Amino acid sequence: MCDYVNSAASAVPGWVGAGLPAVEECGNPNIDFARSLFAETTLVRLMACFDDVFFRWLPLNPLLGPIWSFRCTAWALALSLACAGCGSNSFEYEPNDLLAASLLREEGTQKPKPIAESASQVVESWFGSLGDPRWPTDKLQGMVGAENVVSMEGVQRSAGAVGRGNDKVERGLYRKHCVSCHGLSGDGRGAAAMLLSPYPRDFRRGTFKFKSTLHGSKPTRSDLVRTLHEGIPGTSMPSFAALEQSEEFQEDIEALVEYIRFLSIRGEVERKLIAKQIREGVELSPESAECVAVLQQIAGQWASAESKVLAIPTPPEWSAEEMQASIERGSQWYRSEITACAKCHGDEGRGDGASQDFDDWTKDWTILAGIDPKNPVEWKEMKPWGALKPVIDRPRNFAWSSFRGGGNRQDIFRRLVLGIEGTPMPPIARAEGNNPGLTDDQIWDLVHFVLSLGGNP
Amino acid sequence: MRWWAQPKFWAWAAAVMIFPLIWVGGLVTTHDAGMAVPDWPGTYGYNLFLYPVSTWLYGPFDLFIEHGHRLLGSVVGLLAIALCYTSWRFEPRRWYRWGAVGLLCAVIAQGLLGGFRVVLDGRTIAMLHGCGGPIVFAFAVFMALSASKDWRGALATIESRGMSRLSIALVCGTILQLYLGAQLRHTLPSTSPVGFLSMVHLHLTVALLLTLLILIIAFIVRTRAYGAAREIRTPANVLLLLLFVQLNLGLATWVANYALPWSELTAWLSQYVISAKGYWESFLVTGHQATGSLMIAASVWLACRVWRRQGKLVSQPVSSRISASAVSPLTQAERPA
Repeated sequence: MCDYVNSAASAVPGWVGAGLPAVEECGNPNIDFARSLFAETTLVRLMACFDDVFFRWLPLNPLLGPIWSFRCTAWALALSLACAGCGSNSFEYEPNDLLAASLLREEGTQKPKPIAESASQVVESWFGSLGDPRWPTDKLQGMVGAENVVSMEGVQRSAGAVGRGNDKVERGLYRKHCVSCHGLSGDGRGAAAMLLSPYPRDFRRGTFKFKSTLHGSKPTRSDLVRTLHEGIPGTSMPSFAALEQSEEFQEDIEALVEYIRFLSIRGEVERKLIAKQIREGVELSPESAECVAVLQQIAGQWASAESKVLAIPTPPEWSAEEMQASIERGSQWYRSEITACAKCHGDEGRGDGASQDFDDWTKDWTILAGIDPKNPVEWKEMKPWGALKPVIDRPRNFAWSSFRGGGNRQDIFRRLVLGIEGTPMPPIARAEGNNPGLTDDQIWDLVHFVLSLGGNP
Repeated sequence: MRWWAQPKFWAWAAAVMIFPLIWVGGLVTTHDAGMAVPDWPGTYGYNLFLYPVSTWLYGPFDLFIEHGHRLLGSVVGLLAIALCYTSWRFEPRRWYRWGAVGLLCAVIAQGLLGGFRVVLDGRTIAMLHGCGGPIVFAFAVFMALSASKDWRGALATIESRGMSRLSIALVCGTILQLYLGAQLRHTLPSTSPVGFLSMVHLHLTVALLLTLLILIIAFIVRTRAYGAAREIRTPANVLLLLLFVQLNLGLATWVANYALPWSELTAWLSQYVISAKGYWESFLVTGHQATGSLMIAASVWLACRVWRRQGKLVSQPVSSRISASAVSPLTQAERPA
């Protein structure tokens, strides 16, 4: 609300409302939350439209300025009273209040905003704003592979508002294709987030489920391209393959991947800075050596992702009898203590095992903060900071024969040995040297058994 | 009178052309192509009508539909001007002449809104523009209907005011539903999940109410009380059909955009991969919006037929072809001695 008043005040000479003080947040997260909802009402959006049309576009300002100033100020005041506060419709990165709130909860304090905002300011000074993204090249000088972390050309194309410039190059790809679910900041809190299952990915954790790199490593560019190209079946994540006919398709996909990497690095740096400030009491500053070290560490992890790819062996070519025997062996491994597959996926592979857990994004602000995600009274404490209702990350029902990370034999093998990061699905122990675990042949048996549950041996 | 001199022809032509305009406008929203052409009223510096056809047809798809939308809009503008001219030249009813002016103003206002949406890159203006289109369509349909034989020759056969109220409620309800749908289609990037969720729930609630309303209307028009006004059954039946199509399209639109959140209940969808901006997906989403527009138009059709068949409204027929003896007893009774 007050954004409109203040922005119009600065844009229009003679604006009666010029200099109106911004309404301060009252500090109560519930009230501030309710106010921000009110500020999204169409009435407020309509008022902004009239401001735009009459003050910014029509050359009527000099003639009608005083009249409109009076009228719009009256509107503004009336709506201010109606909305009882202010909220932000400006497109800026959202500070990570939820993480700050969950880390602070143990200490009993309820004011995460100042900490989240100070971390947000530091990352903004490095990474720029939503409309003008930058890359902190000067902070990464000397780092191996620094030039390969993010291509700013792709980031620039994906950031900002949707549309083509006079050069006919399309920009704002992220807002066009991703923002309604993943949110402006990549926090997984886009407009539709509450209605989706699973919730859209929060990139700021730097964790990606379906990738070809070792557990704990970042995904490669081709992992992200694959997800964009093929989508994730049974979820709201679409495939962009339909746009292949467009000449720009490949460039668009690559640009989006760069922006996702950019948002992930930015968000992860922000998270680490918040944690450093709360846990270690580090004073956050863009020039602080400790803060820069965080940036370099995370950028380094992304730079080295390509070297962490796990090679998957070629699937064996077996006869029907051998395949049947392989499935039977796989059935034993499935129910064994070494793999413990049945514990979550159930004896028949229908995803109804005894152990039902939450994903790491949920655990971040629940279990780690001492909150029981199954207790509505407890988790709702975090709702004003952006928490969505915790939902159990259900193990896959193999009878559906639908695999989100790819359904061919090599894909399943990869999922088994790498796990699905951020979820309760761990990597299977591989027998290497003296380490106990499954050999490659035994893992193939397991792959064949899992596929056979859906009727695809 | 020659065909080109009849306002009826131009009113129908405008209504018929506005419907594809709404389709293409819907495609523009579906493909987020509103800013595919960054200038207005020209196109990349060219006059709107002089933009090279080859670049338009073989360029990017978003540019194709956005420029096409503008061209189609200007055709509708020309038709509205023709309607205005013929109405003032040949139409005896004064209110109809002003109605034609109103339609022209509405078309111009829509064009300006579309222009401001581009110049100011405003998504809220895009939402208003999206809401305005179907209302202009309904207005054009009203102008076409009010120039029809049915309008001029309707007999007073409905005594009760109940159906009239229901039909007006239906017009208002469908417009409200369109507005809520536009809120969902033109979501701001900063819209909160709670705000969006509330809007979805509201959209579903109004859909339920409209379903009930249409079912009630479809039932009532078949009762004995409306036996003499069989003409109102046609729009009621059309509404029933559109409702069936629209409910299915609504569900399909959600699935095509976001899939369904109940994986345990919808295992048959577990292998479905949403295709971003896919052909069928775009068709479904845009079809939902266009069918919504048709429902508004059909509601206006029903309201017109009901109104014209109520005693008081038929008392001042304009250039009616009906003889005095054919007018219903109710109308005769209402006439002054």
